[in-house]
Amino acid sequence: MGHPQSLPLPATAGIERDRTVKVAFLTKLFGENKALDGVGFEAGRGELVVLLGRSGSGKSTLLRHLNGLEVPTSGQVQVLGEDLSSLTGSSLRRLRSRVGFIFQQFELVPSLTVLENVLTGSLAVVRGPRLGLFGYGKARRLTALEHLETVGLLQLAYQRADTLSGGQQQRVAIARALMQEPEILLADEPVASLDPESSDQVMNLIRDIARSKGLTVVCSLHQVDLALSWADRIVGLRHGKVVLNTLTENMTREEAMGIYGQVEVATITSEFQAIAEELDTPGHRERIARDLATAAATTRAGRKAP
Amino acid sequence: MTATALTPGPVRGIAAGAPKRKISPERISASITLVVILVIAIQALVAIDISIPKMFESMDNAERFFIRVGGVTFPPLGELLYLTALTVGLVLCGTLLAAVLSVPVAILSASNTTPGPAWRWAGRFVGVLTRAVPDVVLAMVFVLMFSLGALPGIMAIGIHSVGMISKMFADAIEQVDEGPRLAIRAAGGTKTQEFVSGIFPQVMPSWVATVLHRNDINLRGSVILGYVGIIGLGREMSYAFKAMDYSLGMGYAIVIFALCVLMEVVSSSVRSVMLGHAPTGRGMGDRLVRRFGKKSPRETMANAVGFASPAQALVRPWTNARRRNVVWGITSVLVVIGSVVISDIQWRDFITFWGKVPAIAVQFWPPTFGSYEYGTMLDAMWKTIAIALAATFLTLLGSVVIGSLAARNVAPNGFIRSASRFILVVIRGIPEVILAIMLIVVTGLGGQAGTLALAICGVGLLGKLIADSSEEVNPGPERALTATGATRLQVFAGATFPQGVQSLIGHTFYLLDTNVRAATILGIVGGGGIGYYLLNAGQGSKYGVVTAIVLMILATVLVVEGLAMWMRRVFR
Repeated sequence: MGHPQSLPLPATAGIERDRTVKVAFLTKLFGENKALDGVGFEAGRGELVVLLGRSGSGKSTLLRHLNGLEVPTSGQVQVLGEDLSSLTGSSLRRLRSRVGFIFQQFELVPSLTVLENVLTGSLAVVRGPRLGLFGYGKARRLTALEHLETVGLLQLAYQRADTLSGGQQQRVAIARALMQEPEILLADEPVASLDPESSDQVMNLIRDIARSKGLTVVCSLHQVDLALSWADRIVGLRHGKVVLNTLTENMTREEAMGIYGQVEVATITSEFQAIAEELDTPGHRERIARDLATAAATTRAGRKAP
Repeated sequence: MTATALTPGPVRGIAAGAPKRKISPERISASITLVVILVIAIQALVAIDISIPKMFESMDNAERFFIRVGGVTFPPLGELLYLTALTVGLVLCGTLLAAVLSVPVAILSASNTTPGPAWRWAGRFVGVLTRAVPDVVLAMVFVLMFSLGALPGIMAIGIHSVGMISKMFADAIEQVDEGPRLAIRAAGGTKTQEFVSGIFPQVMPSWVATVLHRNDINLRGSVILGYVGIIGLGREMSYAFKAMDYSLGMGYAIVIFALCVLMEVVSSSVRSVMLGHAPTGRGMGDRLVRRFGKKSPRETMANAVGFASPAQALVRPWTNARRRNVVWGITSVLVVIGSVVISDIQWRDFITFWGKVPAIAVQFWPPTFGSYEYGTMLDAMWKTIAIALAATFLTLLGSVVIGSLAARNVAPNGFIRSASRFILVVIRGIPEVILAIMLIVVTGLGGQAGTLALAICGVGLLGKLIADSSEEVNPGPERALTATGATRLQVFAGATFPQGVQSLIGHTFYLLDTNVRAATILGIVGGGGIGYYLLNAGQGSKYGVVTAIVLMILATVLVVEGLAMWMRRVFR
């Protein structure tokens, strides 16, 4: 594994061709509980997609489907042109090695050094168990150090991971993901455990890396403002359903501020429509339409009120 | 409830209206069992007849004995050093063998790494079985299979220790943070890589600590292996006693005694440094650790030196921490190589011994009591259990006092705490067998010596557990009682002790479990009970009897272990 492959930079943020992630009719049941309900969305090469929604809306579950950590109950997941349901064992591991994953809690091994942690990102390539620094070889160690320089932590290479701050640990985790030479980066609430300053640092880093290497990023967040300023596309999730899928460049500031409200209204709308179709009489329809408008207004007012 | 209590009314009404305390039937039966066991223990203590006047009487015995023996003699220094190195090396090799063997067993037994439920049961079965069969019995078997030398001892220690090490290791694996492992899976790592890179670095400190701890236990146990022919200090001591050379025998006993205490002190300091407990105490060990563990200002400087480029960073800087690690690493490797060299292992035996297995296995089956009567054997087994029970009871009394005084939140001052902690470490280092041998001189052959030896050595273990769990109790209630003006003793009785009593029950049963095994072993040196018959049968080549006795011990140990598990569950 020499140098990061150079890909043509995307002309605009939203790219139509070359879909790297395709999800259709994805449903996931945990016992009785429907975590994902007919989810569908796509992401193009080089696109920054944010999954937005409250905790429990299914963001993490969706992300974990994208590298086969979860198996769908029904529906299709296609990543980098491969149907995930057809992959098992080594073919699944080969795909996973092309997809970097960044966790909310960083998930570094606390007692190992920063450099050792970064090197674990190349385990899929080296094959077989490795302990310590020297099992990975000099070339790979140099690559790991270069990635550490990219995330600005070269000086801490030989420190134990648990002596670092949260923001630094997340940057180490990013370097570990880079070690995989990934084509897609998945990030599950990467800044939820960080202070605002470190959050900005980490999010900017992910964006810079993604832009320079042409990576697709799918990142779950719950901060609306951060998502708006950062993403190319926002996919809104609620109760396991996609309730919003828009390019951020097409969003006005006003629209953006009301995203959580709109997410709610959208659900309410669909629920009311279902009821309306059931009671398909003109009188009912009128009354329901009125209720619908009132409900939407109340929700907006409730959001704006302190 | 409060409202009812506040309204003035007839006292009878309040008492009648108070909610009845609910106790589960299981708890009631467990409590009754506990009381029954206590009564039996006291009865056993009375039957064994440890009385002060008798002790004084025996003191005269001892005096006469020492006059006749004419003091203690030691073997020549060179021989002594060689034997000491051989004993330590043999034990270390055995413990290392167990450490390696226990890794796969632990992986199978831990719920988060096992390939399946059947594998898990298999792993646990191996653990329980290896723990239950005494190492002396394993040594008897291996002496028959291998040529004489260190190998039978290494194998006996190695296999017997798998039980404890794999259990502790499996517990540690079950407690790891699953996150790093998930990260490696998400990056496309295999199951082996998940374990080696994600789990092993997390559990390694506790694994090393367990292995060191086990090594101490094995060193103490190696004495008894000498009685069945395993080379080292133990065998020389047993020869000396057999040849009625009591002064030389006592000399060996004193050397082993000192060696065990020394090892205990060394390994408990290494463990505490490695597990990262901040050495805050005023004890000698803590002071030493602080003195040598301190980071120098130079090192902080070294960490701040920057790398200009990734290529420059390829060379890891020699910080003091790295230097220390390398020195430790090289030292350990040298110690291991030294152990293997001095043990002079006959590697060929590993190939040839398979041929001897069938012929030897036949000798051990079927189990039989031979010329012994059933009554005699059951009586001897009961005597062993009685010794264990009585010793556990005595230990409990002693440990509550010393253990509590060693706890930071109970001890009246730092000096008493440090002194108590030091006493506990020293007691932990004492090999029961040696203490029993010395006590036999005073009390004569029989149950008293065994009981006293177990009771004294038990304080080292139970006292430490009590001290640690006392320090772990919630300090809130203690502060609350202190604030009401309670005395130290009242705070202890009202807040510290009630919070610690549940773990006390668990720890005491653990001790009882250990004592049943240890009491068997003490019989071999004349401490009374079934061990005497075990040694006789082994030396008389009546291997069917050995099997029968081992089965009896196994059944007892399993019953005690089951009881202990039940008690820990009920009184959690």
